[in-house]
Amino acid sequence: MQLFSNGQMWRSHELKPSYDVAIVGAGVHGLATAYYLGRLFGIRKIALLDKGYLGYGASGRNTAILRSNYRTPEGVRFYNAALKLYEGLSAELEWNLMFSQCGHLTLGHTDTAVAGLRVRAETNQLLGVDSRIIGPDEIQKLVPHIDCSSAPRYPIMAALYHPPGGIIRHDAVVWGLARACDRMGIEIHTRTEVTGFRVSGRKVESVITNRGEVAADTVVNATAGWASTICKMAGVSMPIVSHPLQACVTEPLKPFLNAVIVSASLHVYVNQTGRGELVIGSEIDPYQSYSMKGTLPTLEQMASSALELFPQLHHIRVLRQWAGICDMTPDFAPIIGRCEELDNFQVDVGWGTYGFKAAPAAGRYLAEAIATGKTPDIIAPFAPDRFRRRQLVGEKAAAAVSH
Amino acid sequence: MRANERFSFFFKGKLIEARPGDSIGAAMFRAGVRVFTRSFKHHRPRGLMCVAGNCPNCLMNVDGVPSVRVCTAPARPNVRVTPQNVFPSLDFDVLAASQKFDWLMPVGWYYKTFTSRGAWKRVEPWIRKAAGLGEPPPAMAEFAGEAPPYEHRYIHSDVAIIGGGPAGLSAALDASQQGLRAVLIDDQTQLGGHLRFTPSEAERRDRLVEKVLADEKIEVLSRSHCFGLYEDRLLGVVQLPCEGREIESVAHVRAERVVIATGVFEAPLLFENNDLVGVMLSSGVERLIGLYGIVPGSRTVIVGEGPRAERIAALLRDAGSEVAATVRPDQVVSASGSGRVNGLRTADARIACDLIVVCGHRVPNAGLLHQAGAGLEWTDEKGAFLPTRLPPNVEAVGDVTGDDLSPAVAAPPAYPVSKRCYTCYCEDVTTADLSAAIGEGFNEIETLKRYTTVSMGPCQGRMCQISAIGVCANETGRSMGETGVTTSRPPNPSVSLGALAGGAHTPVRRSPLHHEHEALGVVWMNMGEWKRPRYYASDPSLGERECIEREYRAVRERAGVVDVGPLGKIEVTGRDAGRLLDKVYTHRFGNLPIGRVRYAVICDETGTILDDGTISRLADEHYFLTTTTGNLEFVVQWLEWWLIDTGWDVHIANVTGGRSSINVAGPKAREVLSALTDIDLGTDAFKYMACRQGEVAGVPAILLRIGFTGEMGWEVHVPADYGAHVWKSVLEAGRPYDIRPFGVETQRVLRLEKKHVIIGVDTDALSNPYEADMPWVTKLDKPDFIGKASLETLQSTPAGERLIGFTMLDAGRIPEDGASIVRDGEPVGRVTSARYSFVNKTGVGLGWVKAELAQEGQEIMVRVDGEPVRARVQHAAFYDPAGDRLRM
Repeated sequence: MQLFSNGQMWRSHELKPSYDVAIVGAGVHGLATAYYLGRLFGIRKIALLDKGYLGYGASGRNTAILRSNYRTPEGVRFYNAALKLYEGLSAELEWNLMFSQCGHLTLGHTDTAVAGLRVRAETNQLLGVDSRIIGPDEIQKLVPHIDCSSAPRYPIMAALYHPPGGIIRHDAVVWGLARACDRMGIEIHTRTEVTGFRVSGRKVESVITNRGEVAADTVVNATAGWASTICKMAGVSMPIVSHPLQACVTEPLKPFLNAVIVSASLHVYVNQTGRGELVIGSEIDPYQSYSMKGTLPTLEQMASSALELFPQLHHIRVLRQWAGICDMTPDFAPIIGRCEELDNFQVDVGWGTYGFKAAPAAGRYLAEAIATGKTPDIIAPFAPDRFRRRQLVGEKAAAAVSH
Repeated sequence: MRANERFSFFFKGKLIEARPGDSIGAAMFRAGVRVFTRSFKHHRPRGLMCVAGNCPNCLMNVDGVPSVRVCTAPARPNVRVTPQNVFPSLDFDVLAASQKFDWLMPVGWYYKTFTSRGAWKRVEPWIRKAAGLGEPPPAMAEFAGEAPPYEHRYIHSDVAIIGGGPAGLSAALDASQQGLRAVLIDDQTQLGGHLRFTPSEAERRDRLVEKVLADEKIEVLSRSHCFGLYEDRLLGVVQLPCEGREIESVAHVRAERVVIATGVFEAPLLFENNDLVGVMLSSGVERLIGLYGIVPGSRTVIVGEGPRAERIAALLRDAGSEVAATVRPDQVVSASGSGRVNGLRTADARIACDLIVVCGHRVPNAGLLHQAGAGLEWTDEKGAFLPTRLPPNVEAVGDVTGDDLSPAVAAPPAYPVSKRCYTCYCEDVTTADLSAAIGEGFNEIETLKRYTTVSMGPCQGRMCQISAIGVCANETGRSMGETGVTTSRPPNPSVSLGALAGGAHTPVRRSPLHHEHEALGVVWMNMGEWKRPRYYASDPSLGERECIEREYRAVRERAGVVDVGPLGKIEVTGRDAGRLLDKVYTHRFGNLPIGRVRYAVICDETGTILDDGTISRLADEHYFLTTTTGNLEFVVQWLEWWLIDTGWDVHIANVTGGRSSINVAGPKAREVLSALTDIDLGTDAFKYMACRQGEVAGVPAILLRIGFTGEMGWEVHVPADYGAHVWKSVLEAGRPYDIRPFGVETQRVLRLEKKHVIIGVDTDALSNPYEADMPWVTKLDKPDFIGKASLETLQSTPAGERLIGFTMLDAGRIPEDGASIVRDGEPVGRVTSARYSFVNKTGVGLGWVKAELAQEGQEIMVRVDGEPVRARVQHAAFYDPAGDRLRM
């Protein structure tokens, strides 16, 4: 019986001289890509290379919110595919990811914001995603603790309500995928830092790491906040800048908040985890940085915005704050697929503040692209050459705080 | 209340007597309370252990505030203390039975069960109910009271010292002697640190404290926790209420030099039943005796060795407790007792006692140093992780350096792998849990932490981290140093959201005409930080639409006046002013004739529209700019940014707050204004898109003849102080023409009929001038400007989407802003603005569609209430397409 099994989740290995696929970054994106390559396409001679411990980067630093109520048809289709995969993933991995579909509310405090929410609701509905605009009375019923009165500086006018959205246990996703990969013979190499690539002509011959050099037929960059630096090692330039994104948690309280609350106008989002902690997140820091330390001004801004929504929380204490690094693109949409300069270098980058919720779909369809050599339609809008073609994806308009 | 008077507070409906200086927990202990909490998972009874506010064993609800560490919270008269996370009570908790079933719930059991979606949906609400610790706050319906006030303070000093023990006191005096100003941050109610409860040191303490308090160059912040050492030595300090200070505040402390004198804290040792009520840390016992005169047991066993154990034994004996034995840590098998300690088992004996005093790990309190980037290096001979590689201008003094430490036990420690040997008291993580998790592959301290939740609870790792590292090292065969510590993160200790928010309130910007609008029955709307009139409900018998129609008709048929004060206003002067504007804006301004106004658009480097407004040339080297309300600060920064390093002679002044601005519009606008000014407003003397300076109602004014509403009109900018006078004068002069003030909503209808775009409403973060149907704003033949390269490419790239106008073919149906435009059930566009047009007698709007649908006359389907309704694309304005009325 599973309950009593004390089996090992994953093993460690010596680096082999060559692999079919080498994936840089063993976060949810790298793991999902490896998992689907192994499960759907039988490609299992894969090395995942990560400079930290398992789940060190954004996979363990995000606020674990899942949703598919995006603005553009491309975005909605893609994130909905991810959401559907997440819904089945606990059973598939035999590992409870604790996906709580408690519902997701994006608040509108101004006419313009409400119009923006309506754009999303309408597109969502047309594409079969459960999403609608609700007024303050219904918001109050769903969330008895939120201040829907006219007292706040920017009273809540409406919300985009997305019932299938919710929160998941982010670390569990990493561990579950890692275990599944390990069982297929895919190797996870933590504490293995990529320091360069050996490139010849239009091909990456091998990956150079602090533990030695490995050759690979295909190399994947799935390193999120460090995506542009890894690309640079291969001589590839990506239109990506890295910004910190901060969040904090409070001491645990008995559960009272059964929905994810997002307010773009207040630059804040709030949810309560299965452990009872309130998670409060901010928008990205306005400056570029690789610092993963929290800052006091952002902590204060998060607190003050959270209290605009929940004034009765004033005496609840914050337990810790942290930051993760977001790889932002000019159109706030990811970059997935083979990069233009190199024939065997695939990227799965530019995930900004929305990478975690996309991971299964990104991995699933990138795996297909790698295995078949053809780009699936669902990820075609996110191709690396769209910047040269000037065919950007319009998510930026909805993405001020996009969690 | 007199200084020595006793008082009382409530616990479980009973009165607890307290003495001055008591903490809540001390008073309760003296009154005989031993069980303070039930543990998080196993609901085991727990009692006072550290008496320092570190461990989770005394978290209680005090006057509605959850998770208060009552062992250090000062007792106050009449507060109400209640237990939390108990079912139904502290003394009898049925959930404690969960211990009996813990074989069903090994570490991580929740990841391994209920993996099917259906099963999880059914059990999740039940599992969720068991989570959490503190009582949830009241729902809004029950939240009557206002939150108490909180404050932020800003303190600048030469030296900041954290810790009011002997090392911190000496550091403060040293600094003062060097002529420096020092701020001394201490988390206790009184200075002295551990000297306060060390009887032999009383004299030394008094001497040091007296000197510090008498020193004018030293500012002492008592009961103030430094919770973060941020970048560039910014210290976050929370000041809790105490005598003489009612308000909780956060102080931002900046100092040239930071001295960390935070000492050590004590962490428990690992043996079976190490969590029983009656197992206390040695420093906790010292505090109870030294600070509160409480002897916590009558028959004691001490776990420890060497001088520390001897000192504690002597202290207890002096206080009247029998010391039954002193046992070396490696001899201890388990504490015994059901709920409370009644003995200690060693390899060969059972010693009866009612108190076990553990001489635990003395852990350097180096979290702040670690946050600031210092290393923490394991040192075997000290039995501790010691701070190294301190960042510049940060020092460590006293016990935190580890100079005086010796190991409590050998490292890595010996311990039983047991479900009753607690590593983490917050989350009930045992050595059995850690060992199992490591066996499963969670063999790095960071993954071990996330999987077992060890060190993630309210104690923030203080009690458990050193033991967890020990277990991890032991089980993996690595050394303590190789195992390493987890990242230290602020805020530590935890800080309330209220204190962090401070007295924060979002500012409200009010136009100089605010009170005029109030007198006219305004209905306000928020626009950025501003309050703006949405419309005027001057006649209670009329609904919103009627009010707006009345305002609309005044403008179209006679005259109206609108407050445009919130428009951004910038003066750009200097020899190179035109040059800067040519660089930043897409249009040409260096050649703008004096006395002329031109529409102005800013794009970023990718060709995306950032803002629009007007630019008027008042004199050769003097331009007057208007921006959208929301983008003013951005435009000022953007201009300044592009001016940097040019060496150009340009001055940029944001004059928004200094001006009151109105727009007088309508076929009778000329008559209304002519009554107030000598400026010739005649058709040829003051043409459309011209500007003049002169007097209006006796006040110096800038007049721009522009036409956002589609009617003849003048924007009048006057000094803010005279705004109300000019506003009233205009209304008075307009009386013969039945002039009406109109609001933003009316203006939106007026401008929509003219197909005038509002940036940020009808455009978004990816719109460029070609797709937005305004190619004429870009002058690609002028020398380089921001966005030129991208715009050149965009000009020759087929547009993906286009901004179009449309009229509804079903007059009764108006789409809401944001509605979809569809083709065969697929989204192909979106409405950005739509209103009922009083002249067209149907809905008109602006929206984005795929480029192939942007042809004149193209029929499109717009969603209204979820169903598609026919509409037709129209490129020309819906009202006065030739613009004749603007030029009258």
